[in-house]
Amino acid sequence: MTAGRSRFAALAAALLLGGPRPGPYDIALHPTPKAPGASGSARLFAAESPFGIGVTADGQARYDIRITAARLPRPAGLGRFTRYVAWAATPDLAHWARLGVVQNGTSTVGTVEMNKFLLVITAEADSAPATHAGPTVLHGTSPSGWLQSFLTHPLFRGIAQ
Amino acid sequence: MIRRGLALFASALLAGAPLAAQQPAHEHHGMPGMAGHATPIPMPANMVMMPGLVGLQPGVTPFVPGGGVDPGTLQPARPAALTALGDGDTLELTAGLVRRTIRGHDFVMYAFNGRVPGPLIRVPQGATITVRFHNRIDLPSSVHWHGVRLDNGSDGAVGVTQQPVPAGGSYTYTVHFPDAGIYWYHPHVREDVEQPMGLFGNVVVDAPDSDYYSPANGEEMLMLGDLLMQADTLIPYGADAPDFALMGRVGNVLLVNGEPGYALRVHRGEVVRFYLTNAASSRTFNVSFGGAPIKVLASDESRFEREALVPSVVLAPAERYVVAVRFDRPGRYPVLNAVQAINHFRGEFEPEVDTLGTVTVDSAPAVPDHGAAFDRLRANAAVSREVERYRKAFDRPPDKRLTLTVHTSGLPLATVQFMTIDTAYYAPVEWVDGMPDMNWLSTSKQVRWVIRDDATGRENEAIDWHVRQGSVVKLRLFNDPHSFHPMQHPIHLHGQRMLVIARDGVPMRNLVWKDTALIPVGSTVDLLIDASNPGAWMLHCHIAEHLGAGMMTVMHVDPTHGPGR
Repeated sequence: MTAGRSRFAALAAALLLGGPRPGPYDIALHPTPKAPGASGSARLFAAESPFGIGVTADGQARYDIRITAARLPRPAGLGRFTRYVAWAATPDLAHWARLGVVQNGTSTVGTVEMNKFLLVITAEADSAPATHAGPTVLHGTSPSGWLQSFLTHPLFRGIAQ
Repeated sequence: MIRRGLALFASALLAGAPLAAQQPAHEHHGMPGMAGHATPIPMPANMVMMPGLVGLQPGVTPFVPGGGVDPGTLQPARPAALTALGDGDTLELTAGLVRRTIRGHDFVMYAFNGRVPGPLIRVPQGATITVRFHNRIDLPSSVHWHGVRLDNGSDGAVGVTQQPVPAGGSYTYTVHFPDAGIYWYHPHVREDVEQPMGLFGNVVVDAPDSDYYSPANGEEMLMLGDLLMQADTLIPYGADAPDFALMGRVGNVLLVNGEPGYALRVHRGEVVRFYLTNAASSRTFNVSFGGAPIKVLASDESRFEREALVPSVVLAPAERYVVAVRFDRPGRYPVLNAVQAINHFRGEFEPEVDTLGTVTVDSAPAVPDHGAAFDRLRANAAVSREVERYRKAFDRPPDKRLTLTVHTSGLPLATVQFMTIDTAYYAPVEWVDGMPDMNWLSTSKQVRWVIRDDATGRENEAIDWHVRQGSVVKLRLFNDPHSFHPMQHPIHLHGQRMLVIARDGVPMRNLVWKDTALIPVGSTVDLLIDASNPGAWMLHCHIAEHLGAGMMTVMHVDPTHGPGR
């Protein structure tokens, strides 16, 4: 089962069976075959602001991110890498923003200014690479990834663009 | 008691005041993506009315002000004018019918003293004034002095501190202003109708220190609001109960000081001090000035500990902020409200930008030049010293824990089905109404917004909450993200002041005295209340329809020398 399917299955089970539901600021991180034993999660905190919530001038949410990871293998075990680095990427993967270094345990990384994003952790040669180059070990989706499209639902077929 | 206020309101409407025989305009709004379904309310672009909701109407009697009065027979509303008052002065304040022209169409609306906003009351800190309020509108009303730590009997909280003032009646308020800052006044009965129809005004309380704020070349009062219109028609309100009970009524015509197009002319390099008030029923604003630098100085009841540069100003309903903005270059600066809306059909965020007005900057240099003072971010040591007296209480366990949630019953099946699935994700703040059809059809007969006491399970007015005058109360608010319809709540406490000391366990580092705090969905917010003012004080959500749907409780501050609890 893919990570995405498992997330939907977890939500469906929670809705149907009354189990725990993911919080609105929680991101489950899923391992890739590069680090199958790794696990992790992230928590979004509103970036500091006089207004109680962090928002850009165009209305994008500003979040500080706290990442908790476990059983990350040594980066060098994956190749010529020394660090794990967290990135926020737009859902189409067109734009990536480096957030900071992640280690086993809890790491507070930089601020993301996006409403909807992928959180990706890669192995890299140093702590501040300009672009992501190494293999992905953990990844997750911002809670807004739960937004559903109803355009193809039979109820709306033919009446919505 | 609130229920009694609503009952009085409804009975007055149904028995005395004639109702406008107005129905929502059943016309096509011309939005792309709609084929075949006329919508009685405006829908966002590329969205359609839910098939299961087409043809339904909210279960309330429609109401618009005036009972069919020809707006042409009424005086046009005038803009706010400064009313400078001193200690001991008296103001006659009359709520009446006026004609307002919005987008070229005339409507019967309300105004204080014929003005929208109402008179700008400016008083020195420490002043006490008398306000003789006369209700000449077609609804019961009152005047609440929002944020002011005044005597309880003059709070204007219908159902708690007074009965509603009937049409034709009067009430005298004694208003004492102990704190410098920016305040506002509005009715406290059926705010969902009376406030957007024009009953709101600002109060500026001046500190004796002329250097209280960093210097500016000019001052502007901006009261932000909105109206919900379909073509040339106002969407009627519910006579017997608020509609739009799920999200509150979010207008599609954005207003500054009651008008759609704000305009200001300044010289190059001018620093303008803006006093911003969100007078909307439900909308949270995100205001910027075309890229001009913004420095935030103060909020509801005090200056911040430290001035700070910000990209924009976020205001939940009833919040106020004082900011300085510098306009360095000649040209036109749009005043924008820019947010990310959720398209619930596409499952995507979409930018939504409204131009609230324009600041035109000419090439003549500002005199004097306050540029250097603007660049310096001041620390307000007096604020920090005062906050320090309360700091020992920051880390103690909460004295009271309240959960914000909602109960519903009897909503249309399509609404229930859609929202059960769609609320798999819940935005911390809903900036716009992304589901106006479902929202419109929900009334306070079906939706009950709840403040629940975690310790007792009691809800809203049934909460028995007493504190001793002079105590410092740590209140923890949790906005339940797993309710039927999670939504942010601007929580307002009457008659006291409070600090927002932590959000989701993260301490706030730049404090300011507040009376209204935004509680985003899923957030836990710690407030420290300076319970200095005796009396029965409402704590409620300032989304007008949420209050109308029950979301209030009362904090009793028992006098130091009284019986106490």
